Amino acid sequence: MQLNRVDRWLGPCLALTALVWLWLCYAYIPGARSEGEPGPRAFPVLLGIVLAGLGLAIAVSAFAGSGSTAAESTEAWTRREARIVAATFALLMLYPFLLDKLGFLIATPVAVLLALHGILRVRSWLASFALAAGLTSACWLFFVLLLKAPLPRGAWFL
Amino acid sequence: MDALSQAAAAALSIDALLATATGTVVGLIFGSIPGLTFSMALALLVPFTFGMEPTPALAMLLGTYVGGMTGGSVSSILLGIPGTPSSAATVFDGHPMAQRGEASVALGTAVVASTFGGLFSLVVMMLLLEQVAAFAIAFGPAEIFALVLFGLSTICGLAERSIVRGLVAGTLGLMLMVIGLDDLDGVPRLTFGTVPLQQGVNLLVAMIGMFAVPHVISVFIEHGQVEPTPIPDAVRARLPSFGQIKERLWLMLRCAGIGTGIGAIPGTGGPIAAFLAYDHARRFSRHPERFGTGELSGVVAPETANNAVTGGTLIPLLSLGIPGDPATAVILGGLLLHGLQPGPMLFRTHLSAIYALYIAVAIAYVVILIAQLWGIRMFVRVLRVPRHLLAVCIIVLCVLGSYAIRNSIFDVYLMGVMGLFGYVLLRVRIPIAPVVLGLVLGETLEHQYRTALILSEGSHRIFVSSAPAVIFLSLTALTIGWQIWSALRTRFRA
Repeated sequence: MQLNRVDRWLGPCLALTALVWLWLCYAYIPGARSEGEPGPRAFPVLLGIVLAGLGLAIAVSAFAGSGSTAAESTEAWTRREARIVAATFALLMLYPFLLDKLGFLIATPVAVLLALHGILRVRSWLASFALAAGLTSACWLFFVLLLKAPLPRGAWFL
Repeated sequence: MDALSQAAAAALSIDALLATATGTVVGLIFGSIPGLTFSMALALLVPFTFGMEPTPALAMLLGTYVGGMTGGSVSSILLGIPGTPSSAATVFDGHPMAQRGEASVALGTAVVASTFGGLFSLVVMMLLLEQVAAFAIAFGPAEIFALVLFGLSTICGLAERSIVRGLVAGTLGLMLMVIGLDDLDGVPRLTFGTVPLQQGVNLLVAMIGMFAVPHVISVFIEHGQVEPTPIPDAVRARLPSFGQIKERLWLMLRCAGIGTGIGAIPGTGGPIAAFLAYDHARRFSRHPERFGTGELSGVVAPETANNAVTGGTLIPLLSLGIPGDPATAVILGGLLLHGLQPGPMLFRTHLSAIYALYIAVAIAYVVILIAQLWGIRMFVRVLRVPRHLLAVCIIVLCVLGSYAIRNSIFDVYLMGVMGLFGYVLLRVRIPIAPVVLGLVLGETLEHQYRTALILSEGSHRIFVSSAPAVIFLSLTALTIGWQIWSALRTRFRA
């Protein structure tokens, strides 16, 4: 995919993000308490304006077809890529949830098996169990025994 | 003298030596595996240093940094794939040497050149650090603001071919920094009543997510699609002959100077230094036609320069508190975590700690020399471990590491979100380094800006009232202006 085409939606997205940011700044951050003093809102507002300007610059450049990066390209998203990105993100959300509720010793092997079989579709269960058990033991030895770092025991078991 | 003996005692203790060696080997391993960066290694290691004393903890981080910079040459030479961007230039002559059956000499020469470059930059760093810090100690808020702004502008401008994308990245990093409790007024900003967000986006959590998760996703996507590169069986590193080194000593000195100088400029780093040194070596060689076909000087030049960057980048980091690249940004996080605030005052408050860091870097280079010359087979074995299995291990380390920082499950969720954010940014060609550096430098930038305006009762004239501030602001304008001018010129030529 031509980078110029990516910029056609990237620019407006950035500008829109900047507008939402500016609205949030005015709605949720109080202004200066006295005149001449930049309050807590000044810097975030400045950043919003800068981002809006940069987003507009990207959009204008892309729609005018004169983007400096027009000749460059980036790979288009495939269904496989979207599936793997979504699955990895889901795993990164599920693992801390399990860590919190079931504790480290159950959550870690479950997460490893999910990564190997759910995302990577590895076939060998024996190797997967070996990796899950080995990695969990190694982390437990390192974090708990060596570093004395407390790892979650699981809210459901407390 | 007292500080020096204290530093020696701390840096040469068993704990510190073990930590330095461990960090160096971890850095070498991460550096030697293509795709794994030493910035990621550093981000993953920081949580492990919590329970340590400051000296061993920082020695471990510096060892990882130094080891990672050197390790990249292993896969560059053996596989023709750079282990790190800094070792990309080594591929041109290192890999042809390996194909000719001279891998052992190429690896040995790379180690010697790396050690020379690293130690050279360490000496320069020791000579310059206190001078820079002494100069900067008189800086007020306006000067510090201008200096940080200059650092950010070079990072944004040089991190990517498009300055607009670099600036977008830097701005996004600064916006992330805004979230949390405002430290001047104590007002929560964009926390929406969430208590964990009041502490802001934790720097280390963001770094773990943004450096490691995009790599993990890329490996998962490549799994089963890309044939693994064949790895040679019997490999050893052999030291180059005295004659080979003597013949290239002047070149090594020049390349070490290039590396140290480039490293001291925020936003440049190893890849630029290595390519500049390679180009320099070819242009000034009596046999430029040999470059690209397995010329030893083509290994010596980039390897000396990229390792000389390590000392160079530590100069602005330790003396001014400005990290030049993502790796030194993580080291800055580590310094802060262990109670050391980099900047001019560091030399007054923690002089022995700084001396201990010097000693740790020197030890790290000795470890590199030993590990690479005698342990090269181990690194080759690591290259054989399937990348998807390493990626699964990295996920577990990311989750446990981000939890261990504040014992907070919220941080782990945040790490995942930052990871996805990082991946999306990379897919639309927005570089991650300026986001991270915006996050690191943002607090100082805003704090100094507001303090300067409070001092001047709202007058922006304070930013042009002193020579250093004017110089740094002019350099900022020049950096951005030059980038825009270059882009416009390229477009009109096209």
